[in-house]
Amino acid sequence: MLTESILSRLRGLKLSTARRRRGATAGERRSTRRGRSVEFADYRAYTPGDDPRRIDWNVFARHERAVVKLFEEEEDLAVHILIDQSASMFPQPFPQPFPQPFPQPGDFTPSKFTCSVQLTLLLGYAALAAGDALTVQLSTGRSFGPRRGLAAFAELTRFLEAAHTSTPNAHLALAGWLKSCTQGARPGLCFLLSDLFDEQHGWLPGFNALGAAGFDLRVLHVLSPDELDPQLSGDVRLRDVETGDTQDLSIDESLLATYRRRLQEWSDEIATACRSRSGRYFLINSGQPAEHIVLHDLRKAGWLE
Amino acid sequence: MSWLDPAALAFALLAIPILLLYLLRMQRREHPITSTLLWRQVLPDREANTLWQRLRRNLLLFLQLAALAALVFALTRPFVLTTPSLRGSLIVLLDASASMRATDVAPSRFDAARTQVREIISHMSASDRMQLVLVDDAPHALTALTDDRVALITALDQAIAGVRAARWVQAVSLAGAAATAENVRDATIVVVSDGANLDVPAFAALRTPVQFLPVGVSSDNLAVTTLRLRRRTRDIAAFVRVTNFGAQEQRARLTLAVDDARSDMRDLIVAAGASTEFTVDGLPLDTLSVHAHLDAAEGNALAEDDDAYAVAAVRERRRTVLVGSSNRFLEQALTALPGWDVTRAATPPDAQQPFDLYVLDGFTASVPSGAGALIIGVAPNFAPTSCFTDTRFLRADAHPVLEAVDWRPVAVQGAQRFDTPPWLQPVLLSEGGPLLYAGVDAEQRRIMLLPFSLNRSDLPLQIAFPILVANAAEWLAPAQGLDLPADVQPGEVVPLPANARVEMPDGAQRSAGPSGFAETMQPGMYLVHAGAVNSAFAVNFTDDGESALTPSGPLTLGTAGAAGSSGAETAGRAEIWPWLAVAALLLLTIEWWMI
Repeated sequence: MLTESILSRLRGLKLSTARRRRGATAGERRSTRRGRSVEFADYRAYTPGDDPRRIDWNVFARHERAVVKLFEEEEDLAVHILIDQSASMFPQPFPQPFPQPFPQPGDFTPSKFTCSVQLTLLLGYAALAAGDALTVQLSTGRSFGPRRGLAAFAELTRFLEAAHTSTPNAHLALAGWLKSCTQGARPGLCFLLSDLFDEQHGWLPGFNALGAAGFDLRVLHVLSPDELDPQLSGDVRLRDVETGDTQDLSIDESLLATYRRRLQEWSDEIATACRSRSGRYFLINSGQPAEHIVLHDLRKAGWLE
Repeated sequence: MSWLDPAALAFALLAIPILLLYLLRMQRREHPITSTLLWRQVLPDREANTLWQRLRRNLLLFLQLAALAALVFALTRPFVLTTPSLRGSLIVLLDASASMRATDVAPSRFDAARTQVREIISHMSASDRMQLVLVDDAPHALTALTDDRVALITALDQAIAGVRAARWVQAVSLAGAAATAENVRDATIVVVSDGANLDVPAFAALRTPVQFLPVGVSSDNLAVTTLRLRRRTRDIAAFVRVTNFGAQEQRARLTLAVDDARSDMRDLIVAAGASTEFTVDGLPLDTLSVHAHLDAAEGNALAEDDDAYAVAAVRERRRTVLVGSSNRFLEQALTALPGWDVTRAATPPDAQQPFDLYVLDGFTASVPSGAGALIIGVAPNFAPTSCFTDTRFLRADAHPVLEAVDWRPVAVQGAQRFDTPPWLQPVLLSEGGPLLYAGVDAEQRRIMLLPFSLNRSDLPLQIAFPILVANAAEWLAPAQGLDLPADVQPGEVVPLPANARVEMPDGAQRSAGPSGFAETMQPGMYLVHAGAVNSAFAVNFTDDGESALTPSGPLTLGTAGAAGSSGAETAGRAEIWPWLAVAALLLLTIEWWMI
């Protein structure tokens, strides 16, 4: 399980979002509503019916104009975490045992799904600690939440344990799944943890669906060390674990360089698509410890504050 | 290049497992992967490199096979013959026979030999000396034993190859004597030759080390080895033989020219080591000369034997008259003589139409001046003194009429003894007295006298009889034309009358010397004008030994007792396997680097 030191550090953080959301209940997030909190937001001219207590008398004394102070309304935030549980997120053979206890750096290389689960635990804890409404959806259709408050963290842990041992999607249509996630969901922060491998439709239609639904997209592109830096050489026949397609290759250093260049272009392409939708993109190496990614990398990137 | 251990080529079979391993290596191992999406996307980039990828894989195989080839080649221990570093006193026998004119090594074997000798000269130290001997039909010492390189090079540059076979016996004797002279030390005899007609046994008696430097690489050569003309009643027939001395079948075109006008042309296919022969009929009777020329696009390294010349012999007819003979054998013997017209007469003919030869069998008649007479049985002008019957053969003089005549089995019943003048001398004696007289009288009449009747002897039944008649006819009435040999080898002396004018094949005019004509180095037709007589002879290069160009390769000459002989031979061999081993290592390094 998560250590106390990790949890204590997470309790001081909350997931940052550029947009202000209209919340459902009072919370710790700024809302698009102007409210009565202590956070000053703006002035506007006094109109009859306004509460006279909100008139800024200092401005009135200086300019002889009655203006009303507007304050931020703090409400809760909807946080969605979408986890790709397709076969490509698992090593072969799968599944791996759920990491118990929480692995230390260098212990072993978790699968992309394991890494995604760990990241979900950490991000979910931060969201629950901040009073946000947390929803976790798996590509297999199982979901958690929306739940609010740290009391739900134990339930989240059990949910993820059960998810880890469940059968993954043999073949996932990424766009269709993301589109289904937007139906009936309250717009908010949306973390997508996936390797984005969908040869048939690609990842762009899914991004468009999330953006159209008003989600503040956060893409955690999870790739394994083997995908980031393949250790292949010679004459091999690659078999796609999802589609079963094979590809014969004679791999040499020049081909590996071409692969790395193409991977970088692909990553840049996704990042650009995210930025154009006011979203954010972060490439995750599943071989890295999850707590380091969250507490160091994502925090440094401004994903948590 | 030669090999010391060609059996090592069997190691080349190792290429088979290499190829098998290469094919097995091409079986790909399957590798499960989360997605082939990105790998498919790199394929377009890879397409441009596909050819290089294939080449690179093939290049590895090629490098492995090349390394194996280099190793196998090294194991065969190949070597090249090099000019060894020779020291001391060198007697260089430079082969200048006709075969050295072959062009299988450019520009010719002789030039290649001169290059080798020049190389030796360039490596001579100050204490080394050399004598150059050109070996043609006789050895010619081009220089004395000297350390003067300039003189040696100059003599070498002036040397030319001849058109005759080399005579090695004399050359070896000369070299042996030069090598064992008192002031000569550390002598080595160096033979630079193609080995054609090389008289290897002649070197056996040498006590001096012998170094043989071979030249020549190929035996391919076609030659006109025979051209003969036969005069027949109505025409002249030419017999031609073309020989292929090489190891491969060759095609050639033969042109026959009669008195410089093309008469016949035919394409020939001559099998390796075989000859093809044919006869061309219908040549005109007034033909003077025939020239056969061979054209071959390839496989003909020696040009000197591609031409052959022949002269149609002009035989003058001589006339003889047989007077009073009733002996059938005598008449047949005379009739069988080639070039003779025989006339029978019961009485001696008048002197208006003199005959060349008068055969008087039991007849007395006067013989014209300058004619010859064979008198049998009677001697009109010489009185018989007695008869004798003891006719057992005693001895015979070395007279032309008795050449090849075996008289011993001849039996004569009885003969007469004559009182002959001094110019008529007995040339054959029996126990009882002379059986044959011969001589030339004051009027240049050649007389031969048989003092017995043929009917009282078995001489006509003996094998000696036609020979005796033929000899007698030639001696009593010799041909008036020039007696030229039918076939003359280059350099051969032709017996011609002194001051006879000779027109050379190149058109130059020469005069014969007192002992004949010796300037016969040019193959071709030589026209002779001796007084009123015009004739011709042909000089041909027809020496099968020289036309057979098969190079001998390395030879060990001399005797085992000649210290250093074998060592000197080994010194001329440079093995190149270390270079091949280095090349194999280099190839393997490159192959390892490319994997």
